[in-house]
Amino acid sequence: MANVLVFAESRAGELRKVAYEAVTAARRLADLSGGGNVHAVVAGGAGIAGALEGLAQHGADSVLVLEHAAFTHYNPEALSATLAARLTGGTYRYAVFSATSQGRDLSPRVAAKLGVGLAADVTSFELDGETVVAKHPQNNGKVIATIAIAGAPAVLSVRPAAVQPEVNARPLSTEAITSSVDPSASRVKVVELQQGNTGKLDLNDAPVVIAGGRGLKSPENFKLCDDLADAFGNAAVGATRAVTDEGWRPHSDQIGQTGRNVSPNLYIAVGISGAIQHLAGMRTARTIVAINKDKDAPIFKIADYGIVGDVLEIMPAFTDAVRKARAQG
Amino acid sequence: MKIAVCIKRVPVMEVKFAISADGTRVEETGLKYDVNDFDLWAIEAALQLKEKAGAGEVTVISLGPDAAQEQIRKALAMGADRGVLLKSDSMPSDGFAVARALAAELKDGGYDLVLFGRIAIDSMNQMTGPMVAELLDLPCVTNVFKLDIAAGKGTAHRALEGATEVLEFPLPALLTIDDGLNKERLPSLKGIMAAKKKPLDIKPASLGAMGVTVRKMELPADRAAGRILGENADAVPELVRLLQTEAKVL
Amino acid sequence: MTVSNVVFAVILFGALAFFARSARRLTRWLHIGHDEVRTDHPDVRTKNFLTIGLAQTKILRDPLGGLMHALVFWGFMVLGLGTIEIMIQGLFTGFTWDTILPRFLYLPYVVSQEVFAVFVLIPVAYLLYRRLVIKPKRFTVDPVHGGDAVFILSMIATLMITLLLVFAMDLRAGASTDGRFISGFLANTLFAGVSPDTARTVSHVSWWVHALLILYFLNHLPFSKHLHVLTSLINVWFSNTSGPGRVGAMRPMDLEAENADQFGASDVEHLSWKNLLDGYSCTECGRCTAACPANLTGKVLSPRMIVVKTRARLTEKAKTLDLVAAGGGVATAEQTAVLDKKLLDDWITEEELWACTSCRACVEECPVSIDQLDIINELRRDLVLMESRFPEELAPALTSLERNGSPWAFSPADRERWSEGMDIPTMAELAGRGEQPDILFWVGCMGSFDDRAKKITVAFARILQAADVKFAILGQEETCHGDPARRMGNEYLYQMLAKGVIETLDGYQVKTIVTFCPHCFHQMGKEFPDIGGHYDVIHHTDYIERLLAEGRVPLDTEHGQRLKVAYHDSCYLGRYNDIYDSPRNTLRKALPVVELVEPARTKSRGLCCGAGGGRMWMEENTGKRVNVERSEELLATGADQIAVACPFCMTMITDGVTGAGSNVPVLDISEVVASRLAVTTPA
Repeated sequence: MANVLVFAESRAGELRKVAYEAVTAARRLADLSGGGNVHAVVAGGAGIAGALEGLAQHGADSVLVLEHAAFTHYNPEALSATLAARLTGGTYRYAVFSATSQGRDLSPRVAAKLGVGLAADVTSFELDGETVVAKHPQNNGKVIATIAIAGAPAVLSVRPAAVQPEVNARPLSTEAITSSVDPSASRVKVVELQQGNTGKLDLNDAPVVIAGGRGLKSPENFKLCDDLADAFGNAAVGATRAVTDEGWRPHSDQIGQTGRNVSPNLYIAVGISGAIQHLAGMRTARTIVAINKDKDAPIFKIADYGIVGDVLEIMPAFTDAVRKARAQG
Repeated sequence: MKIAVCIKRVPVMEVKFAISADGTRVEETGLKYDVNDFDLWAIEAALQLKEKAGAGEVTVISLGPDAAQEQIRKALAMGADRGVLLKSDSMPSDGFAVARALAAELKDGGYDLVLFGRIAIDSMNQMTGPMVAELLDLPCVTNVFKLDIAAGKGTAHRALEGATEVLEFPLPALLTIDDGLNKERLPSLKGIMAAKKKPLDIKPASLGAMGVTVRKMELPADRAAGRILGENADAVPELVRLLQTEAKVL
Repeated sequence: MTVSNVVFAVILFGALAFFARSARRLTRWLHIGHDEVRTDHPDVRTKNFLTIGLAQTKILRDPLGGLMHALVFWGFMVLGLGTIEIMIQGLFTGFTWDTILPRFLYLPYVVSQEVFAVFVLIPVAYLLYRRLVIKPKRFTVDPVHGGDAVFILSMIATLMITLLLVFAMDLRAGASTDGRFISGFLANTLFAGVSPDTARTVSHVSWWVHALLILYFLNHLPFSKHLHVLTSLINVWFSNTSGPGRVGAMRPMDLEAENADQFGASDVEHLSWKNLLDGYSCTECGRCTAACPANLTGKVLSPRMIVVKTRARLTEKAKTLDLVAAGGGVATAEQTAVLDKKLLDDWITEEELWACTSCRACVEECPVSIDQLDIINELRRDLVLMESRFPEELAPALTSLERNGSPWAFSPADRERWSEGMDIPTMAELAGRGEQPDILFWVGCMGSFDDRAKKITVAFARILQAADVKFAILGQEETCHGDPARRMGNEYLYQMLAKGVIETLDGYQVKTIVTFCPHCFHQMGKEFPDIGGHYDVIHHTDYIERLLAEGRVPLDTEHGQRLKVAYHDSCYLGRYNDIYDSPRNTLRKALPVVELVEPARTKSRGLCCGAGGGRMWMEENTGKRVNVERSEELLATGADQIAVACPFCMTMITDGVTGAGSNVPVLDISEVVASRLAVTTPA
């Protein structure tokens, strides 16, 4: 029986998907301990209290709402102070954060205020008695550490997408809380939030990268890559050196040894043979898809999935299929 | 402008890691080391700020084994002025312990700015910077990829998933530096020679108890061999299915 | 002694004194450069002097222009005897060699003067015509002064005409006709109507014009690009570009030298006196620039301008230093401004330096053995070692060399993956069994990591296996020897890597190394000795040729279609190591039905693929790409296949051929041979 405090992340007044993942993780921890309460903290400006149903849906017994104009944007100093104050005093055995940019900024501050260790960016966890035992990838993911956190409360941040949100509904119960310090007095202030995806995604940031090579045959056919990127919605389009040398695409789009180094979750190589110069810039991508007419092309050696054939025929079909899959998902 | 940069000695990642016989450590034989990339950008940021200010001092602090002197020397070769090694024979498993040791060293340094790399690519904890900020009660901005400092104040752009936060903060402050702020300079031979004569203090790191311990280290399952799914558009449905169910990227 | 003797003596000794002063000044200026011993191997140097210098072998690489120049050169040598005669005549009227020489020597002398006066006149006329009418591109591509050339050529023409006039008019005035068949012919035809008195006057005037012009010429040279007339023979003797020493090896550098505060060169004082003598010896003929792949494809680099600018900066700086010294050692603001300039940046830009592919075509072409590449390399060293200034695309390559021992960030663990299932032992495995292989197969980074080059690796390994050669690889212990870093100017990183490799090789007591990468081959064979690595390094084209000659490679040469194959010379095999025949012989032997076709530029004139000098890791955004130019040239031969002997050429030419929309296969020599193996090794 242990209570869990979970920070439910929001941005611009809306809860993020990771908030439900974090609540799901917190629920699981509470259940593993023999069934405790999960309290989710939400912070935001006026109106944040409006759409909290989802948190209860995913297992939050209570939602603590920190509503104040000074929380419209992320306010790390007031937020960490408030959370640390809540966590002090023994009500909570565990504290859960998302290992996002915000959670990775906030959780170490809270842990340091409490004087306890932090298990950061865990991909799975279990309890050994009361001790949290979690897996945490290290060395660029080439080693997996299993770590134990002894402190009380035990603070952990959970890697996005490591826990899928699970419905575990209970009635929504909210409680308004106030900041433990004057939230307007924070020294660090967010003065602007620039929402992404308004312009083109940068190659280095995009979770999906689609790269075109000479196999596209002409600069006009790069539209096929742009279309596929649109279908994904979170993709950027790059090119090989041969292509940027030809002037089909700007040099800033070049992926490879003399261009950009990318390591997206998904890399789609379209009409790229896979010379050393190119591989040097994208080998570390998590999943690699190759589409090429030559079945002996070196790119297939490092690709997870390959399709042999005419890119001009395959790409429109692929784009359609992705669009449909995203519409359903 | 007095700037401290905290850097870490990390293994070069282009290797096949092996796990020690007792299963709790990464085997060190055969590993090569360098300064953590993000820390290189932090050093570069410090040097550029100092150059822009026209005066100042850049101190490089590292917690690590004796051999981490090499990495501090590299920072000195790039242009930092002095180095401090907080010596610890093994790297602590607890980022908070590291933060305490660093904070103790930084405490009375009178730094206008303390810089960290956003993440150390070996431990991948991404926690030491903000923890030190808490311990020293410094304003802190993490993941900085754009930075302006003028008249005792700073403006930083901080990378979020698919968005950017613009923040203002007063000095002194602690920042963690992300990819994209700059490209680090490579030390010239002239710099390497000069670095040999720069001061490097070595003192023991005061670590204290570990709140996080390692129980096991293991290698992830081998990446499945690549597959050719088929020819032409007929293979598309299978590809999409695998991207959804197996690779989970769609 | 007549009055005119005295007048002449005053002029002669005045001219000689003035010349001596100029010569001393030029010599003193050379000392602005640092010391360097260039008197070793006098035998080789003298051989160069006789062949490249006196026999003009390199000038003659351009058959017509070369012959013309050689005639002028040889003419000057022969006419020099006449010039001495004339100078003595000026002091002692009536002197001729006849006075002291026996008849049988004097007569040939007379004939030689007549003949060579004409031999010089003809080419001078041609060269003037070429300058003024034909105007080859190499004379106009750079902002150099063609005017001086025209002036000098006209002066030489005047010298020859006045000489012939003296001869012919002397005959009209009654001098001996022995041996004077040309002036005799002129006297009896063109000048048949000239009276003896007029002839005497014309001869007298012509004599004075000729003598004064010679003395003027002598004193004009030190202030003109035609200084080469005086310095080029000396330059050839002191040059190392055709030996002595290991041709193409970069200048050794002592990084541990106490108190060294300059690495590489940013100004003339960091160059050697020999680099500066190169400047004196350049007559701006532009053959180097005409052969330069960077210049040919529209880059700013012109090797000629590298030398011309070095000379110009030396002159500027030296003159200012002289003025400062004359002014009591205190420089004016203007003088300080001149002294504060540098050869690097103020004269030669970064962009010029990074455009160089280190292909050595310029060095190969220079008729007077100037080493343009040495200056480029020294300036690059300053950029990288002193200032850490280089194209940003080089940073990943340099970082990866340092971290991963390869210019590409691949895991050393993957080095031997190509050999899976091939049963190839590593040195460590053999050493474990107490065995020593006959050769070490050095795979190289391209051969280990580039999927296309890995096919070459496998092909060569199969040949070795078929020939029953006992060989081993280093596997994961192999790392880059640092040659790319060295070519980029990073001597520090190079020496670190090279010493590591030498340690590994010596640990296994390696003696013979075979590699298919010409860069590895050159570096380990030719440059390792300077830092303590001594191995017999063989390029695979030589090694395969040897195996074929010994009949050790079972080939099926019966079948197959008649193929037209064009071979592309690798710079580091050809110009750096003089290997032109073994790849061609190997192709002929492996494919008896082959027809070898040569591209327009081939062998020592072969055009670079564009990857050398670290260019493999740099962007090429200006002008046409070198690999495209070369690939088009290779395709123009109509070949069915293109053969290469370098993995870098493989990448560049394959890219160029694909870019040209062609599907002509590009194969390595070893792939061609492996495809003809009679008995395929069991898989």
